[in-house]
Amino acid sequence: MASAAPTKLYADDVSLVVVLIDTNPFFWTTSEKNSSSLSFADFISHVLPFLNAIMLLNQLNQVVLIATGVNSCEYIYDSSLPHQQSADGKMPAFYSEILTKLEQFVSKDQRLAKNDSSLTMSSLLSGSLSLALCYIQKIFRAGPLHPQPRILCLQGSPDGPEQYVGIMNAIFSAQRSMIPIDSCVLGTQNSAFLQQASHITGGIYQKPAYPDGLFQYLSAVFATDLQSRSFLRLPKPPGVDFRASCFCHKKTIDMGYICSVCLSIFCKHHKKCSTCGSNFNQSQQDASSTLDHKRKTPEA
Amino acid sequence: MPQVKIIAKNFMDMVAALPAMKLDKLYDNAFICEAVLRSLPPLAKKYVMQMLYIDVSVTAKSLEEQVLPDGFSKHKVAIDRLLQLRIFVQSIDRKRETSYKLNPKFQDNLQKYLVYGGSLPREPMPTNITVRLPSPEELEAYAVDQWENFLLQLVTSAQGEKQMGFSSHLLKNFQRGLMSSRENESPKMSEHGFQFLLMDTNAQLWYIIREYISSAQDRGLDPTDLISFLLELSFHVMGEAYNMNSLTEVQTSAVKDLADLGLVKLQQGRKESWFIPTKLATNLSVSLSDTSARKQGFVVIETNFRMYAYSSSKLHCEILRLFARVEYQLPNLIVGAITKESLYNAFENGITGEQIISFLQLNAHPRVAEKIPSVPENVTDQIRLWETDRNRVEMIPSHFYDDFPSKDVFEAACDYAREIGGFLWEDSNKMRLIVRGEAHQDMRDFLRRQK
Amino acid sequence: MAVVNMRAKYKVNTKTPGVPGVLKMTDEKFTFNPNDPRTSAKLDVGFRSIKGHKFSKEGSKLALLNLTLEEGGYIFEFDNFSDRNTCRDFVAKVLGKLQTVSSGKEDAKVVSEKPVPLFDEQLSTAEMERRMKLLQEDSELQKLHKQFVMSGVLTEAEFWATRKKLLNSEASRSSKQRVGFKSTMLADVRPLTDGRTNKVTFSLTPEIIHQIFAEKPAVHQAFLKFVPNKMTEKNFWTKYCRAEYLHRTKNSLAAAAEAAEDEELAVFLKHDDILASEARRKIRRVDPTLDMAADVGDDYLHLPDHGILRDGIKESNDAEHEHYKRTLSQDLNRHAAVVLEGRTLDVELGDTRTVAEALARSKQGELSAEASDDNASWRQSERVSRMTEIEDLQGPRGLPIASLCIKDPRDYFDSQQANALRALGDAGGGPKAANCDLSPEKAFESLSQQILKLKAVGLDDPIVKPEVSLKVMNTLAQPSGDKFFLGKDSQDEVLDRLPHGTREELLHHWKSIEELLRHFWSSYPITTAYLYAKVDRLKDALSKTYPKLEALRDSMQSDYRNQVGLLVRPMLQAVDAALAHAESEKRSTKTGARPNGLS
Repeated sequence: MASAAPTKLYADDVSLVVVLIDTNPFFWTTSEKNSSSLSFADFISHVLPFLNAIMLLNQLNQVVLIATGVNSCEYIYDSSLPHQQSADGKMPAFYSEILTKLEQFVSKDQRLAKNDSSLTMSSLLSGSLSLALCYIQKIFRAGPLHPQPRILCLQGSPDGPEQYVGIMNAIFSAQRSMIPIDSCVLGTQNSAFLQQASHITGGIYQKPAYPDGLFQYLSAVFATDLQSRSFLRLPKPPGVDFRASCFCHKKTIDMGYICSVCLSIFCKHHKKCSTCGSNFNQSQQDASSTLDHKRKTPEA
Repeated sequence: MPQVKIIAKNFMDMVAALPAMKLDKLYDNAFICEAVLRSLPPLAKKYVMQMLYIDVSVTAKSLEEQVLPDGFSKHKVAIDRLLQLRIFVQSIDRKRETSYKLNPKFQDNLQKYLVYGGSLPREPMPTNITVRLPSPEELEAYAVDQWENFLLQLVTSAQGEKQMGFSSHLLKNFQRGLMSSRENESPKMSEHGFQFLLMDTNAQLWYIIREYISSAQDRGLDPTDLISFLLELSFHVMGEAYNMNSLTEVQTSAVKDLADLGLVKLQQGRKESWFIPTKLATNLSVSLSDTSARKQGFVVIETNFRMYAYSSSKLHCEILRLFARVEYQLPNLIVGAITKESLYNAFENGITGEQIISFLQLNAHPRVAEKIPSVPENVTDQIRLWETDRNRVEMIPSHFYDDFPSKDVFEAACDYAREIGGFLWEDSNKMRLIVRGEAHQDMRDFLRRQK
Repeated sequence: MAVVNMRAKYKVNTKTPGVPGVLKMTDEKFTFNPNDPRTSAKLDVGFRSIKGHKFSKEGSKLALLNLTLEEGGYIFEFDNFSDRNTCRDFVAKVLGKLQTVSSGKEDAKVVSEKPVPLFDEQLSTAEMERRMKLLQEDSELQKLHKQFVMSGVLTEAEFWATRKKLLNSEASRSSKQRVGFKSTMLADVRPLTDGRTNKVTFSLTPEIIHQIFAEKPAVHQAFLKFVPNKMTEKNFWTKYCRAEYLHRTKNSLAAAAEAAEDEELAVFLKHDDILASEARRKIRRVDPTLDMAADVGDDYLHLPDHGILRDGIKESNDAEHEHYKRTLSQDLNRHAAVVLEGRTLDVELGDTRTVAEALARSKQGELSAEASDDNASWRQSERVSRMTEIEDLQGPRGLPIASLCIKDPRDYFDSQQANALRALGDAGGGPKAANCDLSPEKAFESLSQQILKLKAVGLDDPIVKPEVSLKVMNTLAQPSGDKFFLGKDSQDEVLDRLPHGTREELLHHWKSIEELLRHFWSSYPITTAYLYAKVDRLKDALSKTYPKLEALRDSMQSDYRNQVGLLVRPMLQAVDAALAHAESEKRSTKTGARPNGLS
């Protein structure tokens, strides 16, 4: 038939990619000294063309860049906002715009660090994940026609255990809204948080073996739109560590004690729950004495 | 049932049909690479991205290995497309293993694009030279106006009215497919023409552009130039003014034709002249993929078959007249009714019921478009019923076979007929079989072999 | 230790009257002491010599129990069946136990040396049957039962103690359903006419009489009053049938006339006063919050030409003799009410008199129960007040909730962070060391410089070297390494890949270890000697699992051995943990004070 059914304004492969980049200065300076890993400049020069590539693939594709700092997070770039089109020949206009914004962000992050003297190794991943989810929610609520959103975490610094609750909450809300979280870990260790995030939300987890080929990972794996993913055999993580960590020593444990009131996990028996203050000892004695009553004792 | 002949073919099909030399030449232009990449199916885009920085051939097997079983058909489509468009260059080595490599020009252009960004095809003119540029609304109104004017001309000239100021060679080209002009008769709209009118704007635009390009050869032009210019045009910023001096001779004449269609607006300054691309032009690359900007609808159909069209456009009136009885016209309203007679008239002209229904649905007034269904069900059903009324008896030229020597031969013949798709009817008791006429030769050969 | 004492008569055979006395049964033996010490019927027999037991059917003439020997046996007659059943169940249990022990061959010796104290709970046959049924239905359970209970690792009671839920659900399923009234109406009591004479025959069965009593309290009342003082039962029913006949023929005039003559007959013809009062009582108990307006429209009877056909004749409204008429709807409602109430009598149907009396008793009971149910009226009034409450005048109706006390979460998170940092330091000196000599200022500075540099120089072209790209693409194309199988999915896959037999065996091992561990851990803390013995038993059984698991692993082909090893490891670890716990516990009890309850 010549006249087609009403054409969809958004094809299935139109995507909104929210990219979270780690701007943890401690990670990047240590990483720089390591010959096998990337410097921040290298990292950015892999990421920017990736953003450009996403937008090249479909003119309706949308890209949002969020910086994950040590003390703050911020939107760096949103392709849906009007931008200057001109290029200076060296690089596209939006590259330099992003770089300028990034520099401003880093100095702001530094200023905030001075106020708070505590030294943290990890970046505020929970914060930037929340920002990303908020942005996507805004898109969802704007109307029924929207691109397929996904989140890509480019993380270098190690997990911040203090953010455990925040990150898990973000993961679960992403799962509820069916937003996959892809993760690409550039640090030396696997990130348990991101492993779980990608596993739960159905995203892809990668820890590049060759950091200098980052762009190839990004373009070959992470640039794939959600629809095409259902047809492809994409790299699967070897395994996800689901074991829980105890609340007292942060040890990963197979078997442990669980507070019956607040579900805190401990590796050893405690008299009192350190989280909610429930008294275990009392109840245990009670239990054993009632057990005495219940168990029929043989006549001696 | 008349088969629909006009298919709003993808623009890229035309590009893909170009000879290899010309295609390679097209890829010199970075915009073409960009536009072509965007037109690809998602999986093909993924393969291009994956191969972007690979400078050696990659075996077809290694690509196939990535595909899950249910995605295999999509994979085939993607690879075929990439080969057609010569984005993948195929090579077969001694071990008869197929491997692909990205077209070097294409690859180079995309790599450059990623690092240095896309530049604009040409700089817009500074605002101090260009005066009284139209606002986006004005521009849009202009584009719609021009386009409708053009369509109206197609319709009215069919009714023998005097032509307006269109370049006649252009019009003639378009009319070639849509009008049937017999000798000693004023040209009459063919069934293709009627179908064309009911298509949505994007499909119409494609059709016209396609005709335009294919007619370019007759005028002694290289279609490659036109294609690349049209694609280039779609990367211009809508509403900005561009200097005519920056165009080649071919392009200048093309721009003038395109202005007639409403793709660009021409303006004349004191010294210079410039052209302003309209939405129709910038959508050209959008329409390469399957998206289209929706126009606001205007038709309300009631369950009593009355039709109210809120439009002052003469074209709309003409289109509605194709299948409805227009009763009266107010300044902004056309009132009519869908009757059996008016529909029969449309069916005579080769318009199908489905086309009418989808036209009504596509152009439903916003107030009724929210409702489901936007066109009352009794009306759509009645249109279909009236249409099938005309098709109660279907004639198929066929051949009748009987006197089969044995049941086995009869059954083998039935199976064979099914196999070649010519089977129509059988009576296994009396061993009689009816097969489509075109399959007769095959059947005869087959039966002879049976003996 | 369980002992059953029961009065019984000892009989040599069923014909003799028997010697009255007391039967005493223990786990080991049973003794019979005759009331008359002079008789020689004294018995003292160990259960070991008993081969089986028989008993008379419930409801038969005598409540008998026969404990059979190889030849002959001991027959006891009990006063009633419930006494007999207690003894029968006990015997069944003891015999069952003895049989399992003897079938356990070598284990039997162990068990008999230190007889495990069991059967402190009385098992009814129903309970036994339930267990048997469960075992039959669930082969997995049967396997475990055979493995542990039969071999004496666990006692029957211990085994089932952890499966109370199963038993309960089984029990609730098998609860007996009582037979109610038929839902057909009494219209079945049709008069039979032979056509030649004017004689009309009604046939009444005890079943029907019971139903009549239940549905027509007036008849019931009259029966109690008149029979047998004033008239015979036969007379009574004749009168009743006559009244029924009058109703049926719709001869309300005749009915009125006859009622005037015969006051007994009138009882049957008039409206049932008891019913009426009962109805009134019910109406009073109707939930006042019920929305009666909802059914108002359902009544079509007042419309002309509407009505219900009964026996082919339409009931017309005949106001005059209203008193002597019953409408079909009344009958229907009454019948429905009785059917829904159900049969509350447990008396054998047969004797009309006893049925009538029993019915009267149960009615009485109902009434008194109703009267004493103050709670109901209180609940009702509360309901009314709730339904008619005026919302803005009500106080907040929140339940008293103890709020959850969460201590300052920072306590937890701060310690977490410190731990994490420590862990990081342990992981490898690299990042930590580099970190120490780096001040935050310097770090931020270098980051900014990198950005500036990039801005000034621009991006590399090409972004990635083709050879690196190719390398990456090849690694991505490879199926990801199967070094780890930590994920849940991957473990399932491993299990699926194993040969079927191995898989079953593995699962069974896991199940049995689970069972043992469940009992093991639930015995802690050890407070009694009994538990002490139990833990000992379980420990032995657990330590026996080692060679079994190892044998299983070693029997595998090399390609599976590794995977089976992975699956077996957590089992071994769990067993290790249990045994280690038992060891440490033993040591602590040796040095420290003995747990209470043990001396």
